[in-house]
Amino acid sequence: MNWFVQNISTAVGKKLLMAITGLGFLGFIAVHLAGNITFYFGKDAFLHYVETLHALGPVIVIVELVLLALAVIHVSTGTVLFTRNWQARKTRYAVDKSAGGRTIGSRTMPYTGFLILLFVILHLCQFHFIDRTQQTPYDAAVNTFSNIFYALIYIGAVILVGIHIRHGFWSLFQSLGLNHEKYMPAIRAVGIAFAIAAAVGFAFIPIYIRAVT
Amino acid sequence: MSSQTINLTLKVWRQNKNNPRGALETYPANNISTDMSFLEMLDVVNEELTAEGVEPIAFDHDCREGICGMCGAVVNGRAHGHMPETTLCQLHMRHFNDGDTIVIEPWRARAFPVVKDLVADSSGLDKIIQAGGYISINAGGPQDGNAIPIARDNAEKAFNAATCIGCGACVAACPNASAMLFTGAKISHLALLPQGKPEAKNRALAMVRAMDELGFGNCSNEAECEAECPKGISIREIARMNREFIKAAFS
Amino acid sequence: MTLESKIPAGPLHEKWDRHRFDLKLVNPANRKKFEIIVVGTGLAGASAAATLAELGYNVKNFCIQDSPRRAHSIAAQGGINAAKNYANDGDSIWRLFYDTVKGGDFRAREANVYRLAQLSVNIIDQCVAQGVPFAREYGGLLDNRSFGGAQVSRTFYAKGQTGQQLLLGAYSSLMRQAANGRVTIFPRREMLDLVKVDGRARGIVVRNLVTGELESHSAHAVVLATGGYGNAYFLSTNAMSSNVTAAYRCYKKGAYFGNPCFTQIHPTCIPVHGTYQSKLTLMSESLRNDGRVWVPKEPGDKRPPEQIPESGRDYYLERKYPSFGNLVPRDVASRNAKEQCDKDKGVGETGLAVYLDFADAIARDGREAIADKYGNLFEMYEKITGEDPYVTPMRIYPAVHYTMGGLWVDYNLMTTVDGLFALGEANFSDHGANRLGASALMQGLADGYFIIPYTLGGYLAGASLPEVDASATEFRESEERIREQVDRMLSIDGRRTVTDFHKSLGRILWDECGIARDEQTLEKARADIAELRAEFWQNVKVPGDAADLNQALENAGRVADFMEFGELMVKDAIERKESCGCHFNTAYQTADHEALRDDENFCHVSAWEYTGPDTDPIHHREPLYFENVELTQRSYK
Repeated sequence: MNWFVQNISTAVGKKLLMAITGLGFLGFIAVHLAGNITFYFGKDAFLHYVETLHALGPVIVIVELVLLALAVIHVSTGTVLFTRNWQARKTRYAVDKSAGGRTIGSRTMPYTGFLILLFVILHLCQFHFIDRTQQTPYDAAVNTFSNIFYALIYIGAVILVGIHIRHGFWSLFQSLGLNHEKYMPAIRAVGIAFAIAAAVGFAFIPIYIRAVT
Repeated sequence: MSSQTINLTLKVWRQNKNNPRGALETYPANNISTDMSFLEMLDVVNEELTAEGVEPIAFDHDCREGICGMCGAVVNGRAHGHMPETTLCQLHMRHFNDGDTIVIEPWRARAFPVVKDLVADSSGLDKIIQAGGYISINAGGPQDGNAIPIARDNAEKAFNAATCIGCGACVAACPNASAMLFTGAKISHLALLPQGKPEAKNRALAMVRAMDELGFGNCSNEAECEAECPKGISIREIARMNREFIKAAFS
Repeated sequence: MTLESKIPAGPLHEKWDRHRFDLKLVNPANRKKFEIIVVGTGLAGASAAATLAELGYNVKNFCIQDSPRRAHSIAAQGGINAAKNYANDGDSIWRLFYDTVKGGDFRAREANVYRLAQLSVNIIDQCVAQGVPFAREYGGLLDNRSFGGAQVSRTFYAKGQTGQQLLLGAYSSLMRQAANGRVTIFPRREMLDLVKVDGRARGIVVRNLVTGELESHSAHAVVLATGGYGNAYFLSTNAMSSNVTAAYRCYKKGAYFGNPCFTQIHPTCIPVHGTYQSKLTLMSESLRNDGRVWVPKEPGDKRPPEQIPESGRDYYLERKYPSFGNLVPRDVASRNAKEQCDKDKGVGETGLAVYLDFADAIARDGREAIADKYGNLFEMYEKITGEDPYVTPMRIYPAVHYTMGGLWVDYNLMTTVDGLFALGEANFSDHGANRLGASALMQGLADGYFIIPYTLGGYLAGASLPEVDASATEFRESEERIREQVDRMLSIDGRRTVTDFHKSLGRILWDECGIARDEQTLEKARADIAELRAEFWQNVKVPGDAADLNQALENAGRVADFMEFGELMVKDAIERKESCGCHFNTAYQTADHEALRDDENFCHVSAWEYTGPDTDPIHHREPLYFENVELTQRSYK
């Protein structure tokens, strides 16, 4: 495994880790978003989805463990990259202007990433590590979003997720070496569509819940 | 185009053995012809400084026609100044306005320590090449040049990657001071040619490792390098390097 | 000392083969016992250092820039000649040899030029194997173009940056040897002296340009590949740090200087804009294939070009040379441009330019076709001048470009100092009085890859070389002399900057020893330079101190040498009482104003021996023998 550690800890290796774990999260977000759409079909539809999901049993546990591993790798590698990159330029420029390469997404990756991490912890506390005998997940959502403060936090957080994906999506293709003159414009377009879909799709849930209750 | 003269204020990074921390100093640059190149403007300022008994500003430069890659400074926050695909020596003063203040700083990266004023030591780039940016062939009796046909498209792509002049602007412009565009261009140039294939695996691994050891940052796909590269080298070369690295690392 | 060219006996095409066989060899196991110094990392220096290291020698390689890849070979645009005859258009080694000898106006050695033509073929193979991305045809084979008026397509190229691609090839080989420890690279070092021990070259003293320290390096042989001296003229197409110092200081140590007055002036450069200008930029001469050169008919006509009607224009090259028209050779085109400007017909603000007009070509072939051929050149022109050559005619003027003169070397590329070799533009050997386009790259690489590895071995195997290290007194004395000179320059604290002196020197040489020369102005140049040199040592102002990166100090040393060297150039020009190639003395011309050679009296190489700063050098002559080609008069009517 020595060769593996050696190669994966290089600059390109770390990019690969970020890309592959990021890809995993994109998959998760897609599934999560698809599941959450049942919210718009009412309480029963949503709870039916939750039950079906939980009926998978050990599969769900495995998926959760994989997601946890991805999170640990993504966050720790990201932290290492952030500190190394900061150290790579000891003296900053007095004037620093962009030549047009950077976007809001690319500029803020470590910061949106960190905030998303905080949000995920909050989200897990509010929806995952709860006593399911006391309240259904549907009730948990209704209770949480009845608080305008939480609703705004959730809306803000999923917008950050969108911004993170805006750069992360095409970037993971680039990191995996998949940048071709012909296809990159399409990849970028899909990335933007995905980012908007995720941000809007999730953000509307608290708004919808507050509207119907 | 008739030439005009403009007056400017320069804020130039000065750093030397007596002032190792360095600071921006302000100098006037008056009666600058708009036909001058940026470096000629610095020449004029240096002649005036010398006459006044102030030590002239040290800056690297050589061919002054945009090919040797020796010149370079960050001008108002932009590597080689604000004109696209232009080295500092080819940046002309007609692109500035009378009364402008111009801040001039050296390349900044941990891997490029400042030697003096605007002179930075970019010899790390040579070390990356030493790690594997070559084809191991001795002078002697290679086969005929036409023995291996190379598809024109590939030859052109290899050429485009090979146009890198090693100026270091990609490192200077990268928010992370990464040398991936430089390294990617070199790896791509050789990977695209049949002559470069036998060593492709070692080359990709060794050059990427060298880049890390020299203290360059990591790429986070900000694409600032591509936007500042005076030769217009694309980040597709970085993607190709990643591809080469993946092939080499996991096969 | 007599000049022995050491040209091997035998038929022309067998000389190099026989010589290689006759040269002694160094046992592979013994090669690592030899230290070789290579100064310069251009095509000649990098290829020599890499190749010698591949053979097993220990090489120390010095360059003035921060990286070996910056050497000015990198700026060569057009291409590299090779007698491959891939185009099947009648090329051969013999034809390349003949074209080069004739193009050089019969002032180069037949044997050297023939060897160059033979090796040209190997160079392409070597470069392709290194991964040099030459232009290719759709079938995947190498593309060729015709260049510099040659009647065959023998020029290999990589768009407009052949020099950079070839240099990167040599540099990559060099880096490979640096990585495995056979070559040690010393960047930011300037060679300031050659050190001789017992009459042989045994080392050099360099200044570390970052710290200012003087460093002595000993070796068994020294190879100089430090390029040309075109910057004596201040304005040239050379890089800013190109200089004569290394070669000149070898000259001072006993290496003869060959044909110093042979300076090629390229006709199509972007003209001077003003007194602040620091260098000139070449526009590829391929532009003359479609551009028409003209000036206003009336002297002093300052109207903008579009207001001058067809009847008011003089297409002087087409008028004077109906068969070659705008495609006359470099020296002829340059002379004529100067002649027009001297008649006050020059254009632009300075009056020192002629038009190169593409209007007819654009009207004929369409803008797109012209953009296809010259797009990148037009862009470069616009970047520098701010004018659009698609709309306004280009303004061009000749500029100093290449120096055929250099240290005198024998067939082994060894100078008159035993153990000191000179390669590439730094030697005088292959181009005679005028270099053909795309031949400089060829010579640099032939010298480095394929000649020096053999001849240097021959020298080392045949010489008795006792151990010498850098602590020898000869090194100390040399360092002391350099230190004295440096201290002297720093202590003068006069009123004029180094650049100011350099500009004055350049003006003298350009006006009085430039495109066209005559005895009277040459004599004036001698007096003017001597006067300037005296003033320099009274009135130069060099700021800063010696123990630091001090670019003004670096330049001061170079300009001091350029001034002494300028006098030598002028002296050589005076002594060559004929016209040949680039050396055009107005007293010697045909009825058609072409260069008139005097083969009876001047079919020789002038080699100059240093005698002291204020005494005349000794003039040696190496006669040139032409056994295989007939000396003819060039004509382009």
